[in-house]
Amino acid sequence: MNGVDAASVLYGLEAINANNGWAISVVGITIVFTGLVALSVLISQIHKLVALYDNPGKIKKLFVSRSESVARAGTPKAHLDLTEAQKQVCRQYNLLAQTMDDVISLPKLLRMAELSGLNDPHANMNLLIKSGILCADEQGYFRWDEDIFIRTIS
Amino acid sequence: MDALFLEFFQNTGFYLCDYRNIIMIIVGMIFIYLGIAKDYEPLLLVPIGFGMLVGNIPIFKGLGLGIYENNSVLHYLYFGVTQGIYPPLIFLGIGAMTDFSTLLARPVLMLLGAAAQAGIFITFLGALALGFLPKEAAAIGIIGGADGPTAIFLTAKLAPHLIGPIAVAAYSYMALVPVIQPPIMKLLTTRKERLIHMEEPRQVTKREKMIFPVIVFLLCCFLAPAALPLLGMLCFGNLLKEAVVTERLAVTARTALIDIATILLGITVGASTQGDVFLTHSSVKIFILGALSFGIATASGLLFAKFMNLFLKKKINPLLGAAGVSAVPDSARVVHIVGQREDPTNFLLMHAMAPNVSGVIGSAIAAGVLWSLML
Repeated sequence: MNGVDAASVLYGLEAINANNGWAISVVGITIVFTGLVALSVLISQIHKLVALYDNPGKIKKLFVSRSESVARAGTPKAHLDLTEAQKQVCRQYNLLAQTMDDVISLPKLLRMAELSGLNDPHANMNLLIKSGILCADEQGYFRWDEDIFIRTIS
Repeated sequence: MDALFLEFFQNTGFYLCDYRNIIMIIVGMIFIYLGIAKDYEPLLLVPIGFGMLVGNIPIFKGLGLGIYENNSVLHYLYFGVTQGIYPPLIFLGIGAMTDFSTLLARPVLMLLGAAAQAGIFITFLGALALGFLPKEAAAIGIIGGADGPTAIFLTAKLAPHLIGPIAVAAYSYMALVPVIQPPIMKLLTTRKERLIHMEEPRQVTKREKMIFPVIVFLLCCFLAPAALPLLGMLCFGNLLKEAVVTERLAVTARTALIDIATILLGITVGASTQGDVFLTHSSVKIFILGALSFGIATASGLLFAKFMNLFLKKKINPLLGAAGVSAVPDSARVVHIVGQREDPTNFLLMHAMAPNVSGVIGSAIAAGVLWSLML
C-alpha cells in the first residue's frame, strides 16, 4: 500500500485476481512441496548408498548374471542357529560396535571387549564373523551387518 | 536563563513525547516481561523489547540518534537488517546446532514440514485481499513460516518499510506458540489420534549426517536459487557440525556468532518500531494476518498428517503435523507436551523435531520462491 493512491487500491477477490495471486500461490506451494518430496525421497536412499560404498561387494552383486541371481534366489541363505547365550553375546557386541565408527577394526573391538570384561572375546568374535554379522570390507576392516544381526537374534 | 531552561525542556523526551511512543514503550515492557517472567523466547523477546524502549525515546530530530537518521549508530547497525545480513548469520548458527538425525531416520515426516508452508501462501492471498501490494503480501505471508530470520530476510528484500511490524509479529507469534497451537491441535485431532505412539527411529550413521547438508543444499538451491543465502548458511553450519574436524568453527557459529547476530537483530528490529512509524492501520492488519497465518500453518500440518495416515500402515501421531511450522524447537516441544497430557508415556519430542527442522528448510525454500516470483 506504500506509495499507492488509496482510491486505486483493490480489495478482495478483485485484488487477488488482478495480482495473479491464485497462480503465484499454487506455483509456490507446488515448488515447496516438490522440493521437499524430492528431498525426502533422496535422503531416504542415503543409507543405502552409504552401505553400498562401505561394501563394494554389493555393487558387484548388482552385475551378476540374471540366471545366477535367479539360481541364488532359490537357495536359502545359510545362517547359524545360535543359543540364547550366544544371542546375548551378539547383543553385547552390538552395543560395543555402536560406539565405534561405521568401519570396525577387529583389534580395537577385541580391546574394547576385553576392557568391558566380556568372556572369551576371541571365540565370540569368531562366532560373529561366522554368522556374517561382522563382514569383511576387503580392506582389512569389518562392518556390522544390521540386517543379519536382527535376523540372527530374533 | 528561563529561555535556556525552556529550550532544554523542549528537547527532553517529556516534551516531545507522543501517545504512540507510550503505547510502544508499554508493548516493549510487555515483551521484556514475557521473555523474563514467562520464559517465552527470552533470547528474542528481551532484545526486541528493550529495542522498543530504545526506539521510542522521543528524540530531537537532527541529532543523529534515531534509527531512521542516516548518520546514527543505530542506523548503521540496522543496515544488517535492511540488507539481510543478520538472518543468514543466524541460519549458520542454527545449522551448527541442529541435529537432523530424526529427519534422516524418517524422511516421510518431511512432508509435514512442507504441508505447514501452505499457511504462507494462504496468508499471501489474504494480504492481497486486504489491499496490500504483491511484494508486501509476500512478506506478510512468510510470517506463517514461523521463522523470524526468514521473515526479516524476505521483508528486507521485498518490503523494507514493513520490517518492524512483520518482525515483531513473527517473533511475537513464535513466542506465543505454546498459547496458539494447543487449542488448534485439540480441535483437529481426536483423543485416540493423540494417543498414537511413534515407533523408535533407526540409527543414523555419521556419514549420512555429513552427506545430508550437501544434498539439501544442492537440491534446494538448484530448485529455488533465491533460497541460497539462508539455505546455504544453514547447510554450511550443519556441515561444520557434522564434519567433526571443523568443530571449532561449528562452536563459534552456534555460540558467539549467532548470539551477536541475535543481539544486533533483536535490538535494531525493536528500535525500528518507533510509534509514529509502527502504529498504523497496516500494522494492525499485519498482526491479524500473522495470527491467521500461524493458525493456518498449524492446521495444515495437522490435517496433512491425518491425510497421510489414510495411506500409512504404521500410523503417525497427527500432532506431529503442528511441528511443521518452523519455530524450532518450541513447536516440537508443544507437540510433546500436548501428547504427554494424554499419555505421560508418549514421548514425541524426538519425532516432532523431524517436521520441525524440515519446516525450517521449507520456509527458506518458500521465501526463495516468493522472492523470485516477485522479481
